[in-house]
Amino acid sequence: MTQHNGEILVSAVDVTKVYRAGEIEAYALRGVTLDVRSGDFLSIVGPSGSGKTTLLNLVGALDSVSSGKLTVLGQDVAGLSRRRRADLRLKSLGFVFQAYNLVPVLTARENVEFVLELQGVGSERTARAREILEELGLREFADRRPLEMSGGQQQRVAVARAVASRPRLVLADEPTANLDGDNAGALMNMMRRLRDEHGMTFVFSTHDPRVIAHATRVVTLTDGRVTGDEKGEPAAA
Amino acid sequence: MRLSTLRMAWRNLGRNRRRTGLALTSIAVGQIALLAMAGLMNDYTEKIVDVITGPLMGDVQMHVPEWRDERAMDMAIPDLASRLAEIQRDPAVKTAFARIYAPALAAPAEKAYVVVVTGVDPDAETREGGLIEGVAAKPGEGRVLFGRNAADRLGLKAGDEVVVVGQGADGIPADRRYVVAGIVTSSVDLVNRQGLIMSLSDAQAMFSLADQAHELVVRAKTREEADALAARLAASPRFKDLEILPWYEVVKGMKRMVDMMDYSVLFVLIFVFVAAVAGVANTMLMSTFERVREFGMLLALGSRPWRIVGMIFAEAAALGLLGAVVGTILGCALVGVTSWTGIDMAAWGGEAAKDFSFQGMRLPLLVYPWLKLSDVLVGVGAVTATSILSAVWPAAIAARLEPVEALRK
Repeated sequence: MTQHNGEILVSAVDVTKVYRAGEIEAYALRGVTLDVRSGDFLSIVGPSGSGKTTLLNLVGALDSVSSGKLTVLGQDVAGLSRRRRADLRLKSLGFVFQAYNLVPVLTARENVEFVLELQGVGSERTARAREILEELGLREFADRRPLEMSGGQQQRVAVARAVASRPRLVLADEPTANLDGDNAGALMNMMRRLRDEHGMTFVFSTHDPRVIAHATRVVTLTDGRVTGDEKGEPAAA
Repeated sequence: MRLSTLRMAWRNLGRNRRRTGLALTSIAVGQIALLAMAGLMNDYTEKIVDVITGPLMGDVQMHVPEWRDERAMDMAIPDLASRLAEIQRDPAVKTAFARIYAPALAAPAEKAYVVVVTGVDPDAETREGGLIEGVAAKPGEGRVLFGRNAADRLGLKAGDEVVVVGQGADGIPADRRYVVAGIVTSSVDLVNRQGLIMSLSDAQAMFSLADQAHELVVRAKTREEADALAARLAASPRFKDLEILPWYEVVKGMKRMVDMMDYSVLFVLIFVFVAAVAGVANTMLMSTFERVREFGMLLALGSRPWRIVGMIFAEAAALGLLGAVVGTILGCALVGVTSWTGIDMAAWGGEAAKDFSFQGMRLPLLVYPWLKLSDVLVGVGAVTATSILSAVWPAAIAARLEPVEALRK
């Protein structure tokens, strides 16, 4: 098991995100201040429209803050070019999305390989993709395309892809939204194991109690504001 | 471009097979049409040029300047024998004929009809490429040949006698009695309709043109040598008093017709481009709009926009190339079959089409299409290039995508 040093990976200070459409302004986040530390298994919870996905998008360098300061892995995201943000995502972050998670024309192995190839991994990427799929109990799905797998299997492959390059921070946007109870539990156990064995940090947006039950820390967002930040009592894996 | 990008591009074509199939069909049909048209025009053009440069025109013609406009009897080439010998010494010359042309009246009985007397070298012109190629009954020593239509009109048959009345180069009327040695059917319509063929020596004697002729017809060993041959002859001091022209300068109308055939292939090529652009652009646009969220996911994972752009171009190129290859296989098969069976265009035009002629030459009506490698390559290259071009718009849309906005779609 890997020991976590509590290093701050994400620092958000008074972060605000406003969407503008002509004269209309819609505040998605209002002055969010938050740290994410190494080893966190953090759930961002809140009702729909509370700003969970927006916060994940900002942390994932997919979007820019309107005001405030956001530092991810020591880099001020607002000051990064499009290319540097893509580099940050590619080299240091892993993503698991709610749906449309895998490239449908690639097999499970090829989906994992794709990210490794983007990262410049050479000929050993096929072996590494097989290794991670095997480690996550997905060996039998390696040569299947997404449409030949269940939703739970697809999400597990998506996790395999997100962690294949051992990123320091994995961001998951409602990863269990389309899964039944058994699949949701299996997915969370898998991510917990990765966090424990490889020292990865996970941040989820969710309103799924099955996810919240696994979290070591639960941050609550309401109308774009942090209204709670509590230590969790993770259920046994 | 990375292998995985090419693999994704290729597999993406199978995501909506019906749409891809329709695009492939439009491209393939265009390529088939292009090859069919090119095959048809290749043979038709070659046959027309053969007809033009064959028995009547040759590859190069030599006349006294202005003769072609005035057709005066006394505008004849002097020193004929020595000049013919000089021409035949050129290594590019296959054959060279001298001819006399003279309007005359032919009277088999009481009535007289207008004919065009053509004086030819019987030995040379009954050989391959001559005006009366393969004709057994040679003219000469008071014996003449008549064209089929002219003979029918005059009610002549082999063995009949006919009186020919004309005017010599010296302006003195001349008349002679000849025996019809034979009736000929020529690929030169002028011969069939109005032709009276007599030997060059008979014509020189009748029209007072000793060692003279109105025209020298030169055939090159290969068509490619014709222009250089014409230039060489024109540069020779021995012929500086003559007008020396390649065939396409003599019958400019025919040359324009041949050129128009090339343009007709170009016209079809443009239609093929339009079909390819419409098919591929539509497919790629729809496919791009459907996959915006997927592109957003790829960008979120750290993929560069150029990679997605490259994938779209690769898809378009694969679509165009595949359609062109399918079209080429089917088009070549079609041309292959018709090159064996031939296409009888007279059957399309009915009886009237069988006598189709232009400027005195009978145009070919049985065509055996064939293709040049360049026809296939131009089609494949043009369709593929056009397909890539038509992907510019969808690629531009993909290049501007912001991952977070794309993921929201």
